[in-house]
Amino acid sequence: MALLHNIRTVAKYEATTLRRSWFFRLFSIGAIFILTLMNIGMFSPVGGEVWGLVSISSSVPYYNLYILNIGQAIVVIFLAADFLKRDKKVDTNEVLYTRSMSNFEYVIGKTWGILRLFLGLDIIILCVGLLMNIISKVMYIDLMSYLAYLLIICVPTILFSLGLAFMLMSLIRNQAITFLLLLGIAALDMFWLWYRLGSIFDYMSFGLPIYKSGVIGFDNLNFIINQRLLYFFLGLVFVLVTVLLFKRLPQSKVHTTLSVILIFISLAGTSICAFNTYSIYKNRIDEKNLVIETNRQFENKNFVSLTDAAIDFSHKGSFFEATADLKFVNKNKESLDRYLFSLNSGLNVNRVISGSKDLTFSKTNHIVEIDPGKSLLPGERDSIKISYSGSINESFCYPNYTDNLKENPYRIQILKINKRQAFLTDNYVLLTPETHWYPVAGLNYYPSNPARIKVDFTAYKLRVKTKNGLTAVSQGITKNENGYFLFSPESPLTGLTIAIGDYKSDTLKVDSIRYINYYFTGHDYYKKDLAEIKDTLKLLVSSKMRDLETNFSTRYPFKTLSFLEVPIQFYSYPRMCTQTRAELQPSMVLLPEKLATLYNANFYKRFARQKKRNARNNQVITDKELQVRLFNDFVNRTFINGENTNYVNGVVWNEPLRYRLGPSFYFFKNSFYSTEYPVINAVFESHLQKLNSSENEMNNYMTGLLSENDRANLILKDASFREMLSKNPGSDTVRAIITIKGDYLFNLMRSKAGIGEFKEWFQKYIDDHKFQSVDITTLNADMKKKFGFEFYPYLYDWFNKKEQPGFLFTDLLAQEIVAGDRTRYMVTFTASNPEKVAGIFNISFRTGGSGSGGQGGLVGVPAGGNYSISMQGRGMEASDISKIIVLDPGQAKKIRTILDAQPRELLVNTLFAKNIPCEIKFPIDEIKKLRNKTTEFKEEEITVSIPLITLPGEIIVDNEDPGFDAGKLESVSPLKKILGISNKRNNNYGEIYFYWAPERWTPVVQSTYYGKYVLSSVYARSGKGDRSVTWTTKLTDPGLYDIYCYIGKAGDATKAQSGSGQQPPGEQRSDNNYKDMHYKIYYDEGVEEITVDFGNAEPGWNNLGRYYISHDSAKVEMTNKSAGRIVLADAIKWVKAD
Amino acid sequence: MKIEIQGLNKIYPNGNQALKDINLEFGTGMFGLLGPNGAGKSSLMRIIVTLMKPTSGVVLVDGKDIQKMRKKLRSMLGYLPQDFRFFTSLKTWEFLDYSGSLAGMKNRKERLAEVDRLLDQVGLLEARDRQANKLSGGMKRRLGIAQALIGNPRIIVVDEPTTGLDPDERIRFRNILSQLSQHDVTIILSTHIVGDISSTCQGMALLNKGELVFSGSPENLVKHAEGHVFKLNLTPYEYEMIKEKYNIISTIPVDNGWEVQVVSDDIPEFNSTPISPNIEHAYVYYMEQKMHADIIE
Repeated sequence: MALLHNIRTVAKYEATTLRRSWFFRLFSIGAIFILTLMNIGMFSPVGGEVWGLVSISSSVPYYNLYILNIGQAIVVIFLAADFLKRDKKVDTNEVLYTRSMSNFEYVIGKTWGILRLFLGLDIIILCVGLLMNIISKVMYIDLMSYLAYLLIICVPTILFSLGLAFMLMSLIRNQAITFLLLLGIAALDMFWLWYRLGSIFDYMSFGLPIYKSGVIGFDNLNFIINQRLLYFFLGLVFVLVTVLLFKRLPQSKVHTTLSVILIFISLAGTSICAFNTYSIYKNRIDEKNLVIETNRQFENKNFVSLTDAAIDFSHKGSFFEATADLKFVNKNKESLDRYLFSLNSGLNVNRVISGSKDLTFSKTNHIVEIDPGKSLLPGERDSIKISYSGSINESFCYPNYTDNLKENPYRIQILKINKRQAFLTDNYVLLTPETHWYPVAGLNYYPSNPARIKVDFTAYKLRVKTKNGLTAVSQGITKNENGYFLFSPESPLTGLTIAIGDYKSDTLKVDSIRYINYYFTGHDYYKKDLAEIKDTLKLLVSSKMRDLETNFSTRYPFKTLSFLEVPIQFYSYPRMCTQTRAELQPSMVLLPEKLATLYNANFYKRFARQKKRNARNNQVITDKELQVRLFNDFVNRTFINGENTNYVNGVVWNEPLRYRLGPSFYFFKNSFYSTEYPVINAVFESHLQKLNSSENEMNNYMTGLLSENDRANLILKDASFREMLSKNPGSDTVRAIITIKGDYLFNLMRSKAGIGEFKEWFQKYIDDHKFQSVDITTLNADMKKKFGFEFYPYLYDWFNKKEQPGFLFTDLLAQEIVAGDRTRYMVTFTASNPEKVAGIFNISFRTGGSGSGGQGGLVGVPAGGNYSISMQGRGMEASDISKIIVLDPGQAKKIRTILDAQPRELLVNTLFAKNIPCEIKFPIDEIKKLRNKTTEFKEEEITVSIPLITLPGEIIVDNEDPGFDAGKLESVSPLKKILGISNKRNNNYGEIYFYWAPERWTPVVQSTYYGKYVLSSVYARSGKGDRSVTWTTKLTDPGLYDIYCYIGKAGDATKAQSGSGQQPPGEQRSDNNYKDMHYKIYYDEGVEEITVDFGNAEPGWNNLGRYYISHDSAKVEMTNKSAGRIVLADAIKWVKAD
Repeated sequence: MKIEIQGLNKIYPNGNQALKDINLEFGTGMFGLLGPNGAGKSSLMRIIVTLMKPTSGVVLVDGKDIQKMRKKLRSMLGYLPQDFRFFTSLKTWEFLDYSGSLAGMKNRKERLAEVDRLLDQVGLLEARDRQANKLSGGMKRRLGIAQALIGNPRIIVVDEPTTGLDPDERIRFRNILSQLSQHDVTIILSTHIVGDISSTCQGMALLNKGELVFSGSPENLVKHAEGHVFKLNLTPYEYEMIKEKYNIISTIPVDNGWEVQVVSDDIPEFNSTPISPNIEHAYVYYMEQKMHADIIE
């Protein structure tokens, strides 16, 4: 057939020509070289064998083609745009144009030639990956994924890029403009468009979640096929339009007509696929909005409290049938005429019966409203049976998340994973309580108060009939009877999870707890890697559990702890109502497929590395000891401490850990509720399960990064707790304000009851009320009974008022005293609260030798060591807090604290207050000896008046004051405005970037800066003196004034006091960061320019000289002129000389 | 095969009229298109090979408009453009293979045999595996003619084929075309080198500034110049005088002066002897006449 012959001919020689072009050769050689190195580094036994990548083999083709595709998408632009240019320039092409072939054949031939050449390169790269795959000891081979990713990633991208380049070149006929346009489109896609409107613009697969699970394969084929076919068809349209635009006299009407027909067919394909892709996105958003709107209708209605639920579940493939026998009680203060349940909107209720009587019911989206034909009085119990069937609508879960791939990325390295909340297929099922796969007496989201949650402790029973001989997994004791799996949890649970799949299991009983490990067949690689610890596993597990129990001062509340492996796509979003992620269920942890996302699950590699390191260091350690270390490290990081920080738009957040077992000790065990303050359980949980890290502290110390508490204080400056919650802010904001409000509340209770006493009593209280939901008024009554103190009355202001206290600290004095025949240390300071509302702050001390972590103080910052130390249950233990001080409005107190060890630093946490940062450090450099024997002292002494922060004759203008002018502070660039990119930080304070410092003055916060409440300064990139800040003030008396500037030296700019005497790495850097600062003093005789050597200046006030000023107003200016990287402007002080 | 050109006009978008009402007719054998640079030869060629559409007029092949039978025409066409220097990165044999394949030679084995035969015919067999881009100018022209010949075309259009060739290569090239013209093939040869036409063409046309100034056989063109070509032996002084007045075709230094050939309607002064004109003389005479007529108009 001439058509195919001609296409093949053109393709063959087009490919030959392209293959011989230096540009393609250079690209190919570079790509093969770089990707081979990367493959060796990532996947081969001699390289890193990064566990996230080697654990699931589809990573190999995905990783290779992902990187290559970005490169070739750009290269294709260059080569394809050369298409017509070359045809025009190379006159020999004319002899080809006079040959008998149609334009269709020629253009299609060229396209196919280039496409197949690039696909050839892709295949070579894939072969490199496959080689690594074959020689790897830990990877299996997934050949289908090689083909799948070639088709998914490369073919549509190349075809689209080629077609677009061809068409633009045919239209514009200017190579330079075409290049620019195409590169612009590629850049726009990579940096701005890729995640928008459900990835509809992502022609390069740059952000498409296409990770293939080794268990369930691609879980979103519908989306993938539509999105990729969209660009395949669009590419075809462009290529075929090029046929029509091609500057050669056509020779075949049939082919021209064929091109037109194919254009229409491809356009139709494009439209259908674009519509489908967009619909998937739009439907998800619509459905989520529908859930929110439905919840809005029902959020103020009363629900029953579920006490018992017996569920019969029959798996039917992509749907299931179930009946739920429910027993419940009315815990509301009003009678209930209707029973409300939430059941996933993909499920249909078939029948509701009470005893033998059918009840009428209706289902509005996911809300089932049942008419019991009677009123259920407060405290009264009832039972019903609901039969239902259907599939699961995942949009129901986390309705406040529209799944923005950029804001909530889920990936292993650069590989994007689809986020799933439920699986219901022929071969695999996973349904967590978040899907409401059984009737739930409450809502999954309360729109007007997202921090609200309704927790029922329910005694569940589950009977499961599976398909295809699959194994069912759920919580509790498992029995297999007559083909049914029966599950009976030993204690009431807050929710029930079911999984059905090709599961195998191992059970280990340790200290009356059964640890059950459910894994997919063949995924128990760790048994071999940790074979040596098999006989000591019980001891190790016991020890870890004891550590946890000690941390939380309570026993693990369940009799089982199951570890359930789930497909890699399973993902939970953070919720505002709880810190607990859905990966953690009562007595069950859902672990990712082959532990792929867990940092240290590559036991084999870690073992080999450690062995090598030990041998190098001549350390003798047995294999068993090493494996014990690896096991302990894994357990600690995954289930106990873990990596708890997450960067979002340059801001560090404490992200609750997915697999941390903390919630087992509170969230799955206790619940406090309040109709007036429905946020209370989230507040308690946030405080009692709080995971603290000094990492934030260190970041703040180094770069001025705001802590979560600071951010919360800034947010709460303008709105009360209630107002903020009703504004429905982001989950990070909610978490931040809940945390600070929880800290405040618990410090209030501790201050009234005593730190130790409260701890002991409250611990017992929550143990006594295990698996119960306790009304907060009951807790209040019980506290009053025990301590004579009611916290409930405080809650009104705590929840509704926006006024914040503000604390000033003066007169810090440290003395060595003799008390009780021992040398001890007394630290005295005055704290005042000039604001109109009462406030609480706590203090602690860093003690011991210089630079070390200290004893009994807060987590220290070891000199030169790893500073990331996580502490769990800090709120519960409160062992780091020395004292909690309450200050009434306008009150000042002299505070004294006696310490056994020498104090190095006083650390104040102002909790909920105007103070920014809320954690303030006061270094204690000098300790005076007090010779007299001190026997008595008052810990707190109210002073007559609030101490002045400025002395008579002093005028201070800080950068926060009206007299300070820095011009326009940093703003969003016009380009960012056009593109709709905004600074996501909800505060005005930035982070110090030494290398990419902003041109405009940017406010930053550090505890070493000057300020009344807000310890801030402004900084900017150094320049030639073209930008400046000014401090101006009114002077009442003319005369001689001493003028001072404030130098606040933070972590990077402070000379480290290292015991080793070595120059710390930061020293050199600080020299480059801060150097000369140029001040202009305006006085009667003119302007004097003063240069301050920042590096050698003393921290605090530095004298700029004495000047006669007779004018009304005085002015000091500072410019951005400096030899350092940045300039910093804080405060100026004028002191009358006489 | 009969090719008729009727009322052919070509006006480019910039307003330049390359062809003005051209009417021509010729059959098999070699047909020469002669004219100075810019006469419109290449435009006419490009229209004949369907690279370009005329503004008006038609080109008929066996009575059929070539614009309506592009596929058929292209399948029997071999074309060598005026510029044939820049190649894509293909080897000599690959380029021929590409052309052959597009010329409809589907059988690879036969095609490769034909490639080698043609390479041999044009003396490029030794350069078979060399990059076409790296060939010398003459070799490139030879490759050009080889690709124009591949696939047994019935119409061969060669535009300025001998430009830049050395005498040997030019002779070889003429011989190839001559041999081909013995078969049932129409060869349209465009050139501004008069010698190419005289030795090979049965019919010819003379184009000047887009207009057809002559069509017929080379002999007829020569006839027009009979009695208008003279040989003169001149002293240097006389030569200076003659130079201003007549169109000198050739100048040969001889003892005590020059032997020159001139074309003229009048018998020149001095010692002039009429000589038999060749096609070159006729071409110059014709162009002179045309130019003179233009001035009078």
